[in-house]
Amino acid sequence: GIRSTSQLIATAGPGDEWRRRVPTLPRGGGGRGASGGPEQPKNDVDFLEPSVLLDETHYQEGYKTGYHDGLASGKEEARQVGLKMGFQVGEELGFYQGCLDVWTSAISIDQDAFSARVRKNIEQLASLVSSYPLSDPENELVQDMMEKIRLKFRVITASLGAKLEYEGRPASSRQDVEDFPEQRRRH
Amino acid sequence: MEDAAAAAAAAAAGPAELREAHRLTGHTDRVWALAWNPAPGPGAGPILASCSGDKTVRIWKRAPDGAWRCSDVLEDTHNRTVRSCAWSPNGKLLATSSFDATTAIWEYTGGDFECVATLEGHENEVKSVSWSPSGLLLATCSRDKMVWIWEMQPGNEFDCVSVLQGHTQDVKMVQWHPFLDILVSVSYDNSIRPKRVESLHPLTIDVDMAACLTQVWTDDGDDEWHCVQTLTEADNCGHSSTVWAVSFNHKGDRMVTCSDDRTLKIWDTSADLSQPNNGDDHESWRHLSTLTGYHGRTIFSAHWSSEDIIASGAGDDAICLFAEEKSNMVEGPSYKLILKKERAHDMDVNCVRWCPQDPRLLASASDDGAVKLWELRGSLLD
Repeated sequence: GIRSTSQLIATAGPGDEWRRRVPTLPRGGGGRGASGGPEQPKNDVDFLEPSVLLDETHYQEGYKTGYHDGLASGKEEARQVGLKMGFQVGEELGFYQGCLDVWTSAISIDQDAFSARVRKNIEQLASLVSSYPLSDPENELVQDMMEKIRLKFRVITASLGAKLEYEGRPASSRQDVEDFPEQRRRH
Repeated sequence: MEDAAAAAAAAAAGPAELREAHRLTGHTDRVWALAWNPAPGPGAGPILASCSGDKTVRIWKRAPDGAWRCSDVLEDTHNRTVRSCAWSPNGKLLATSSFDATTAIWEYTGGDFECVATLEGHENEVKSVSWSPSGLLLATCSRDKMVWIWEMQPGNEFDCVSVLQGHTQDVKMVQWHPFLDILVSVSYDNSIRPKRVESLHPLTIDVDMAACLTQVWTDDGDDEWHCVQTLTEADNCGHSSTVWAVSFNHKGDRMVTCSDDRTLKIWDTSADLSQPNNGDDHESWRHLSTLTGYHGRTIFSAHWSSEDIIASGAGDDAICLFAEEKSNMVEGPSYKLILKKERAHDMDVNCVRWCPQDPRLLASASDDGAVKLWELRGSLLD
């Protein structure tokens, strides 16, 4: 004969979550209120249940498989992206650090090689570069900090009249949409 | 002597008119900007510099016979349009800024011009250059949205003091206050920002520059610049479209701006924003008056003469002159149109500049490639 829901649950496969997800059906009548009309026979409710629960089983299995697969491929992709981003950031910072090392050496040999203002800017750049949170890529300030570093670097090279530029990034430090052409194409 | 007196009297009588006195041709592309030498030297006549889309700068001088000639062509330095030029206060240096992202510094030693420095740093077209009243600082602004401030060192070396980021769009013009360490920048983002210098190194004053008032700040020399006020449409009755130019009056307590919105606005700039704020009294610059309906197109240039006449040049090819309306002081100062010179040029008027040595002499530059010199004659009184 038709088994009741509770009996089905007891004989179902492993997996606690599966059991929890099964909706608890109200007993004896399905909430018809106090007025109480004729009671629904238990048989109808139990008859439909097995097919519904079977769909649910398949859904859950599919979900689990998808989740695990997605986790694995996501990790791999993220690793690739992280490697790329990390390389870019590292390379750029390394470039500035290299320049700083050269300038600092020059200053230690000849204090007057650069003006006081330029020396101060070099110190500020050194401090900015060393305080960049390399191990904390999710720090929301990193973009700002990189902008500050790039700008400070340009201020120094402009004062030195040196044509030094980190080649790895696009020319404009602010990747905004191009100014739309003004009404009469003026500059 | 009587003839001269009679001529002067005749010139001062009658209704105001702007008479075209000379037309200077030579540039092979639109002329963008003009600059009069503030200190041409003892006995020398006025000297005008003009810069152009033809990548050159021309120097114009008045010959003994009264005609104007091009005395020098500064070329082979910029490889794109020269957009702006400015003389240092002592008249010995000319800065020219270009779409090639550089600013060249030329030394003028009475005879020749020699390019003695090139300032690089902007990422793209440099739109304007301005010398500070002390002659030691130079400001440039660019389509890269930044304003760079340079300090001149001995030997024509330039240090970058600071890069100001505050505009969100192309910066059209920078202009120093006539004597305070305040820099104004105007932009496509419809705002006008005066910036105050926090401190400067102690300065030694060159004897030739002693005529300018120089503020000396002697604190810790941080080169920190702050935007002390932004004049916007919403809060300050500012312009509703691209602001193209700014000009101070002689006393520095008034400023005029002009815009794509076809208006000119006059501002009260008597508050000394270069002083650190003492807390309570938030002094600021404020809007005084808006001049609407005089130009039918974008107003590209405005300049305030030492006689307090404002000249404007616009895309309607016209030049207008305004002066303060002295009679009605009930609601504060207002300005009236003295005259409008229609078809002053065949095309857009890009720049108007009063001659510092002769406040009735006005120069204008246009897309039509010409520079014109105008004489303001007649009575300015009603």
